[in-house]
Amino acid sequence: MNSIWAARCALLLALTAGMSTANAAPLDDAAERYRPYAIEGIGSALAGARDLRERVAAKDLAGARKAWLSARAGWERSEVFTAGFVPELDALIDAWPNADSGFHAIEAKLFGAGQTDVDGDTDALVRHLDELHSKLRDMPLTPQGLLDGTVRLAYEVGESKADGGESRISGTSLDDMRNNVSGVEFSYRTIFADSLKGVDAGLADSVTKRIEQLKIIVAAPDLPHVDVRSLRRVSEELVVSLQAASGKLGLRRPTLEAQSR
Amino acid sequence: MSFHRLSGVAIAVGLLIAGLHEPVLAFPVDGDQTTLPAKTELNEDALTRPREIFHSEITGRKSYLIKLGNLAFSSPSILGSVAQRAGISCETCHVNGAGNARFFVPKMSTRPGNFDTTGPLFNPKADNAVLDPVRIPSLRGARYLAPYGHDGRMASLRDFVHNVIVNEFAGPEPSPAILDAIVAYIHDIDFLPNPSVGPGGRLVGKISESERRGEVLFSKPFPHDAGMSCAGCHIPSAAFVDHRQHDVGSGGLFKTPTLRNADFNAPYFHDGRFDTYDQVVAHFDRVFELGLTAQDQKDLVAYLTAVGDGLMPYESDGAGAFLKEINDFATVLGTAIPAGDKEVVSLAVDTIGGELRELTERYPDRKDTSVSGGEQERMNARAALKEVVLLLRRIDMAVGEGRTADAAADYQSYRSFMVAAVPSLLAGADRWSLFNVAVHDRHYEALRQVMQSRHTSQ
Repeated sequence: MNSIWAARCALLLALTAGMSTANAAPLDDAAERYRPYAIEGIGSALAGARDLRERVAAKDLAGARKAWLSARAGWERSEVFTAGFVPELDALIDAWPNADSGFHAIEAKLFGAGQTDVDGDTDALVRHLDELHSKLRDMPLTPQGLLDGTVRLAYEVGESKADGGESRISGTSLDDMRNNVSGVEFSYRTIFADSLKGVDAGLADSVTKRIEQLKIIVAAPDLPHVDVRSLRRVSEELVVSLQAASGKLGLRRPTLEAQSR
Repeated sequence: MSFHRLSGVAIAVGLLIAGLHEPVLAFPVDGDQTTLPAKTELNEDALTRPREIFHSEITGRKSYLIKLGNLAFSSPSILGSVAQRAGISCETCHVNGAGNARFFVPKMSTRPGNFDTTGPLFNPKADNAVLDPVRIPSLRGARYLAPYGHDGRMASLRDFVHNVIVNEFAGPEPSPAILDAIVAYIHDIDFLPNPSVGPGGRLVGKISESERRGEVLFSKPFPHDAGMSCAGCHIPSAAFVDHRQHDVGSGGLFKTPTLRNADFNAPYFHDGRFDTYDQVVAHFDRVFELGLTAQDQKDLVAYLTAVGDGLMPYESDGAGAFLKEINDFATVLGTAIPAGDKEVVSLAVDTIGGELRELTERYPDRKDTSVSGGEQERMNARAALKEVVLLLRRIDMAVGEGRTADAAADYQSYRSFMVAAVPSLLAGADRWSLFNVAVHDRHYEALRQVMQSRHTSQ
């Protein structure tokens, strides 16, 4: 175990060398400006989940599928903060592949088996999203945590979906990617863009340019037509740029995996 | 019979063993949003891989050219857009320079292990409108096996590789350097050693009576044409070929395939129609009216099995094997960065980064319901691999902007991480990774169950 600890320390020390210690306080206000969006995103997912519960109760498969897609879109836009700030709820809501609860458990029934017997799962999803929605009003939203989440999501966008992706049953993997990019863009523009422009306009341009490139790539008509090589390259370039930005903004180098609590 | 007029005989032989090593069936591509048809099987989650032996490593070290060729061989980006989007490279079919007996693409394959290279999927312009898949061959010993193509239509391996890239897979015109490199790599892949085959292709050492009888039968003239024998085409030698094409009653002229390491090359014949040596021998007995007894057939199969053997044909596909290959690829950067070779640096970064991302997914994240325990260790492994992916991308960006000194410094960092920190972190997470058979099976069984529900409802 000592060797693992030493290896981890060596890696992190080397990678964080030269990190800035500038004051990040101005970003706190910007992070607060992000809160309404976070509440709106989860609120949208919650509204979709409640609609889903009603459609399920009515045994309306087509309506339930539509409601699931709506709820899912709100969730995917919110992944900037879900994994980092509420990991337990994140795991309950978005576990995969054969989860006992959450979006993918319901997806398998609705889109896989073509059944609407998901009353219990839907109740749990509504409960968990409702809990998250309530927490968001008071939860401390740190710039560091939001940058971590933005970077993680930007990296995730570049992962291969050649096997059909995470949401392969519902076929929404491309929509997931679009919503992820949308989430990345919104958090960057809302929280970090102005500060970064102030300290390094060139780097800010570089980040913006990559986000715009990602939007063009995921605007492909369907998943099989996404230029995956460019997607991965631009996603990684965006993350590299955001890593460089972290020091300029007085933040720590972003972590690439969300910590459990 | 008509086949008596034929110029010779080719016997393709083997034993279908590649499929016996995996604890569960591999998980195919699935869903309705995939580049490749649903139910495509690439066998990419296999826990074992064919072992690859390089000729140059016997006496020294692999050259830059061979390493570059190996890299390009593993890179989807040298092929066309469909292959790129699907993550298909030469290596997908020719795993570690051998074959892929499980590879199957609906409407492009008629059985696992064959593929229609003139079908519509990868290059509609190459589509001959006929489903005529050919066996995916092993490339071991390819330097001894000219001419190339199942029908031996090309004398030059370089021309053949060019045709595969540009015509069959609609790739961009490769640079002469990349073509040379791929050819150098393929030429460097050796047969697995077989101590039972001595000089002149004779069986040596501890040989069974059945194998010895089979060896005699192999050279025995055919009853209806004394000028023909099995050994007439599969000339006992280093490669057991005659470099010629023959009609053996399988629908045309096809080149004589090697018998070396053929135990691991099933399915057999140009289209992969036969799974076993028994079926192959029975075919020749029937077509050429050889009059073989049941014992004769067993003896021939025993002989072919002895000739077709090879030492340690498979190796475990653990993190160590992954890292060894990745590190081999990365040494190309040591030459390409100082040279400011943007094309090769990008090729290396894209290819190695893809491999590292694939390796990352062998350590399931905390939301994967099929794995419990080791959450921190898995997170460490995933984070470390992601960091080196990004370090590579920094190198690509720096070379692209002409900052070769920065790229060289990042390359040194990359190398030191890959030598010490990364292997240690991966080892710490190994028992919770997909390299662990139990975890592997639970993970893929979970995926299979989910997808099964989809197909059940349709």
